[in-house]
Amino acid sequence: MKLQHPLTWWAWCVGVISAVITADNALFALACLVGAATLVKTLAGNDPWVHSFWFALKLGGFIMVIRAITGIFIGVPIPGTELFKVPILPLPDWIAGIRIGGIVTQERLLSSLHEGMIITTVICLFGVAVSLTSPHRLLRVLPVFIYEFGVALVIATSALPQLVTSAARIRRARILRGDEHPSWRKIALPLLEESLARSLELAAAMDSRGYGVSKSRSRYRPIAWKLSDSAIAASGLLLFLSVWISQ
Amino acid sequence: MISFQNVSLIYPTSTQTILEDLSFNIDEGEMVLVIGSTGTGKSSLLRLINGLVPHHTGGILAGEICVDGISTQIARPGEFAHLIGIVGQNPSNGFVTDTVEEELVFGMEALNFAPDVMRKRVEEILDLLALAPLRNRSIATLSGGEQQRLAIGSALVMHPKVLVLDEPTSALDPIAAEEVLSIIHRLVHDLSLTVIIAEHRLERVIGFADRIIHISGDGKAVIDLPEVILMNSKIAPPIVHLTRALGISEVGLSVRDVRRLTESVRLNEKENLVKARTFFGPAITVKGAKRSYGAHLALKDISIQINKGEIVALMGRNGAGKSTLLQAIAGIGSLDQGSVEIFGHTATSLKGKIRRENMGFVPQEPSDLLYGQSVAEECAQGDKDNEISNGSTYSILQKFIPNISAKSHPRDLSEGQRLALALAIVLSANPKVLVLDEPTRGLDYEAKELLVQILKEFVADVERAVIIATHDVELVAELADRVIFLSEGEIVADGPTLDILLASPAFAPQVAKVMSPKPWLTVKDVMRALEQ
Repeated sequence: MKLQHPLTWWAWCVGVISAVITADNALFALACLVGAATLVKTLAGNDPWVHSFWFALKLGGFIMVIRAITGIFIGVPIPGTELFKVPILPLPDWIAGIRIGGIVTQERLLSSLHEGMIITTVICLFGVAVSLTSPHRLLRVLPVFIYEFGVALVIATSALPQLVTSAARIRRARILRGDEHPSWRKIALPLLEESLARSLELAAAMDSRGYGVSKSRSRYRPIAWKLSDSAIAASGLLLFLSVWISQ
Repeated sequence: MISFQNVSLIYPTSTQTILEDLSFNIDEGEMVLVIGSTGTGKSSLLRLINGLVPHHTGGILAGEICVDGISTQIARPGEFAHLIGIVGQNPSNGFVTDTVEEELVFGMEALNFAPDVMRKRVEEILDLLALAPLRNRSIATLSGGEQQRLAIGSALVMHPKVLVLDEPTSALDPIAAEEVLSIIHRLVHDLSLTVIIAEHRLERVIGFADRIIHISGDGKAVIDLPEVILMNSKIAPPIVHLTRALGISEVGLSVRDVRRLTESVRLNEKENLVKARTFFGPAITVKGAKRSYGAHLALKDISIQINKGEIVALMGRNGAGKSTLLQAIAGIGSLDQGSVEIFGHTATSLKGKIRRENMGFVPQEPSDLLYGQSVAEECAQGDKDNEISNGSTYSILQKFIPNISAKSHPRDLSEGQRLALALAIVLSANPKVLVLDEPTRGLDYEAKELLVQILKEFVADVERAVIIATHDVELVAELADRVIFLSEGEIVADGPTLDILLASPAFAPQVAKVMSPKPWLTVKDVMRALEQ
């Protein structure tokens, strides 16, 4: 795959996200989600940040489940077809307006699923932009004044893949100690320690190499904005416009 | 170029003074070596030079440090970027970009250099450090030595006046280490670069150093000529120990010097008559092991037999397949073809208690094995896992380190202590085979001595065997019965330590170089031969 400008996919994703939110339609959102997954599957290489899309997808699924559960148990009742009934939890008077339990209607379940779908799609669309853009290239086109953000970005993107390999390594060490199913605590503790130490080291390295010292930044090989970049960004924008007009 | 005036440093959370009232000057074009046991503050001293300590790490600093007339009190680390190049212990933790070329220009872009200047300097550095063939490569695909060269290149491309290196060769095989050090040596001579370097393996760097800073750990530090420091220092390379053992009052720093001093010893008729140890039957049998990662063949049809009672060293370049082979032997890495048997068990079938009793594995980071909040908790867990009486693991540990505090957190231990704790836990299960993956990274001489002692005691019981992967030829000379040499996933040499180490000058330990053609590898070998 030819490398696109680091901002291209971000522009595209902003367009599509706006379209999804404007349309407010779960089916449309699902279509966008499937499209996004196909895009990542076909375009992404072997880079460590590609995993962020699949991570976003899992996170989205998790959010949908949580949203559905809270939607059933907490909140305002919506009248309609009754599915089942949950006993009402008595609450003190001073939190009037909030109800836990009660009648669960089909409408209530659908509306929470619908909201969950939109949230999941938005998260995954961000995942597309992250997956298809090298964060280090992105850093090169971002202005210097977001210095702290730049440091955080580099650390986060270098730390995440390292976190995955470290976790595997530590897990393996636990198995070697004869512990076939190590608990999360036994892995998380050393993992956290290590990634913290690594992040500090990386921040120190960036600092001692003069990152953020000069107000402006020169370019060794400027990254050009090509016709294909315009086309991709425009397709996102077009989708949004067409949804907006049809509303 | 660098001046320290009455510098004292303490960290608020620690009761120990790192440095106390330290004053010295380092001139332009000097190469200064920093030595001291682990945890004495070598890295802190290096990071004081560009202000990373205390700007980044915290800590209370008294006194003044000036580099080229600029005080670290006024300027932040970033403002020294054009003046000081600093390369950390593990370069891969400091890379900011994806490819070699982008990494080289990162610092220059940040300081807003003109594009034509950048272009010229990149070419210059690519040639100087022989990085030109790698210019478009992704950093993740580089070997350890290449990464280290790139890290040094990214520092040098700024044309700094001072280069600060924290254990630049600790992860490298002898040949890659030689390559990196000779480049630094050339830069000192050609460009009059000032270099401050911290290193545990003195045998690798001692010949290049103009002066040594010795940090003793109680806050005191001395700076003097290498001959003077090494006269009495406990931390010394093997050749210094050799001259001491032979009762020669002069201190020789290079193989050439010491050869001159020991001519009479070599003329001696006595030979080394170390009786080869006898071994009893196979402990580990690897048959036709093959493993590939994508298109890369990591192991190409390897068969070895390791005997009971043997200590085997696995050597070879970074990326030669050592770790893959060790993981296959330990049963945590799968093989595409072939089999591994340990005392009759298939390696991959080892589980739980049976695993602990047959296979003890110490990974590259011994701290991976540790997750307790204190040494005592770790030891108690070891007792519980192995159903042995309370305090057994702790007593093993106390045999290694008599004065260790049971309350201290594993993270606060020194590298050597941490390795000893991991070893104690592994040994508490009384395993038959012990496998160690590069255990000597970051270990000082004292800790290495301890390791040799522990492992030799371990194989005193003939039903056991040890495999150790390492780059450290001095350790191999002291420890191993047999050396297996891997290259590109194939065994290129396999035989007794003496034969293998003497066969190639790059892998010969210092004492062997001095004593050549006598077949003596260590100070002990020499003394034993002379005492006959």
